[in-house]
Amino acid sequence: MMFLSLLGIAIKALWANKLRTTLTLLGVIIGVTSVMTIISALEGMMGAIESQIDRMGPSTFVVTKWGLITSEEAYWEAVKRKPISLEAVDLVEAGCENCEKVCARAFNRANIKRGSQTLRRVSIGGVDPNFIDIADVEVGQGRFYSYEESLHRKQVAFIGHTVREELFSGVDPIGKDIRIGGKKYTVVGVAKEMGSVFGNNHDNFTLIPFTAYMKQFGEPGDQFNLMIKAFSVEVLDETMDDVRLILRSQRHVPYNKPDDFALITADNVLEMVNSITKLFRVGLVGISSISLVVGGIVVMNIMMVSVTERTREIGIRKSVGAKKKHILIQFLYEALLTTMTGGFIGIVLGYIIADALVGMIDMEISPSSFAIIAGLSISTGTGLIFGIYPAMKAARLDPIKALSYE
Amino acid sequence: MPLIETKNLWKTYKMGTEEVNALREVSISIEKGEYVAIMGPSGSGKSTLMNLIGCLDTPTQGEYKLNNRQVSSMNDDELANIRNREIGFVFQTFNLLPRATSLHNVELPLIYNGSPADLRRKMAEEALAKVELSDRMMHKPSELSGGQRQRVAIARALVNNPSILLADEPTGNLDSKTSVDIMRLFDELHREGNTIIVVTHEQDIAKRAHRVLSILDGKIASDVRVSEEGRKIL
Ligand SMILES: Nc1ncnc2c1ncn2[C@@H]1O[C@H](COP(=O)(O)OP(=O)(O)OP(=O)(O)O)[C@@H](O)[C@H]1O
Ligand SMILES: [Mg+2]
Repeated sequence: MMFLSLLGIAIKALWANKLRTTLTLLGVIIGVTSVMTIISALEGMMGAIESQIDRMGPSTFVVTKWGLITSEEAYWEAVKRKPISLEAVDLVEAGCENCEKVCARAFNRANIKRGSQTLRRVSIGGVDPNFIDIADVEVGQGRFYSYEESLHRKQVAFIGHTVREELFSGVDPIGKDIRIGGKKYTVVGVAKEMGSVFGNNHDNFTLIPFTAYMKQFGEPGDQFNLMIKAFSVEVLDETMDDVRLILRSQRHVPYNKPDDFALITADNVLEMVNSITKLFRVGLVGISSISLVVGGIVVMNIMMVSVTERTREIGIRKSVGAKKKHILIQFLYEALLTTMTGGFIGIVLGYIIADALVGMIDMEISPSSFAIIAGLSISTGTGLIFGIYPAMKAARLDPIKALSYE
Repeated sequence: MPLIETKNLWKTYKMGTEEVNALREVSISIEKGEYVAIMGPSGSGKSTLMNLIGCLDTPTQGEYKLNNRQVSSMNDDELANIRNREIGFVFQTFNLLPRATSLHNVELPLIYNGSPADLRRKMAEEALAKVELSDRMMHKPSELSGGQRQRVAIARALVNNPSILLADEPTGNLDSKTSVDIMRLFDELHREGNTIIVVTHEQDIAKRAHRVLSILDGKIASDVRVSEEGRKIL
């Protein structure tokens, strides 16, 4: 009851001092907006990265000689390793019960030509036909190449969205020929558009049968890897252990030595991205928090002025029976109302700005509950922390001195 | 049992190394229903005494009992309660909230004792009616004359039915005609049974009281009760 009345008093006071209220709001809005912009944009980027990594699927892993390299030593160590051998495919297929699909892969870059048009340095993937069932790539038009074609080393190609746009604008590409690194391939299908991350176009690729790839580029050596899909997420660990054992024995790794190859899951990749970007993220949030502290100091300053200006008002209230807590609550309400309103506006503005920023690198964000909760609690905290001192000062005023204040 | 009883009240202000005794061994006792005027030259300690009686300030030494309760040993919150319930204070400078309407200014004491909004409004309207300002309820102080402002302040002092009405030079900022109106209002309030203490410089006003306390250099110099007949002669 009483608290409602005090809230009413606080609202009236804020309304009566529009300029002061606006300035306080601005201080908070600037602080919260910058923090929210950064948090939302970072969340958006991380989300985009995650969704890209998730294209691999949760029950899929890759066997490579490289592993996730995060240091120079690790690189030089990996360079010395033997490549994954082609026989590994057959061995795994024969020996791993939980493996649903095993796909041999290798990647390279080559120019693609059609007539007089050339698309330079396109990513060329030599992959087995079961790739389409494992990876998160979908057929947009035509079809993926078949086992038959793969078996007979047919020179057929499944092209990415960008390749189609660049080389076949307005023309149906199915059945048409292109030249990959000078060799003729027939287009059998086009992939659905996948978009881009950080300006990195994910549609600029062409897939050809692994057999045809070997015919053109030779043994893949270091670039060779296996993509394996387990029957389910539940048996993923078990499957990875099986594959690890098969490879260790094939590569004659002594029992007391670590693997000289690596198994990578989507989770591994995500962890690495997170750890690499962590410092960057913490730094950005830290920098933007400074503006919040500045906002808080603005709030405190304006409130101090407000308390001094309203010394007589406080004296009058005390003379008719206002207790310390009533004055304290009134001034805290004023601080909280402004900072929370500012916080709310800041969250919305921050989201809009973050959306625009992230939009510039072709990504989207969705409102994050973390950002909203952080924004609200940060602004409320600012109001409490920076509002409490002026409010205490007001509450402690001596009634006689306050009344005779000029 | 007196309504107000002080024993040996001292108020000392320290100004650097110097001490100012604004009040010295003040012992007075005022009964319920009395109408008391406090007179004395400027700087003699009248306001200081009023502030002590009104629980806006605490004595340096001595005892003050209000309604048989020891006020001199109360903490801030208890004093705030007394100011809210027992005391109605009228100041020379009105001390109204400049941005609030008459109605809101009069409601103010009721807000701090948690009265519900509808009751607050009803009581404030009644108090404003008593000072004949029913037609100025939505006016702000800047939209009122000096006499009207002081009447709003009196309505605020009365709204909670306090035990005492204290007025420190209530007509000090008003012209003589308006002053007479205000003093008539005090007379009427006294007739209705209110206990009133007024600080004043003016003999005319003091004449209306039933008892005159003179104060000099912080000490009570005289305490004169005036009978009905005596007042007529004065
Ligand atoms: N806060 C204070 N600090 C120091 N001295 C004070 C303070 N308040 C009052 N005094 C001193 O106490 C004495 C009494 O002051 P008080 O205000 O009670 O006088 P008064 O009788 O009301 O005078 P006036 O008729 O001018 O209003 C004065 O000498 C004054 O200077
Ligand atoms: Mg005075």
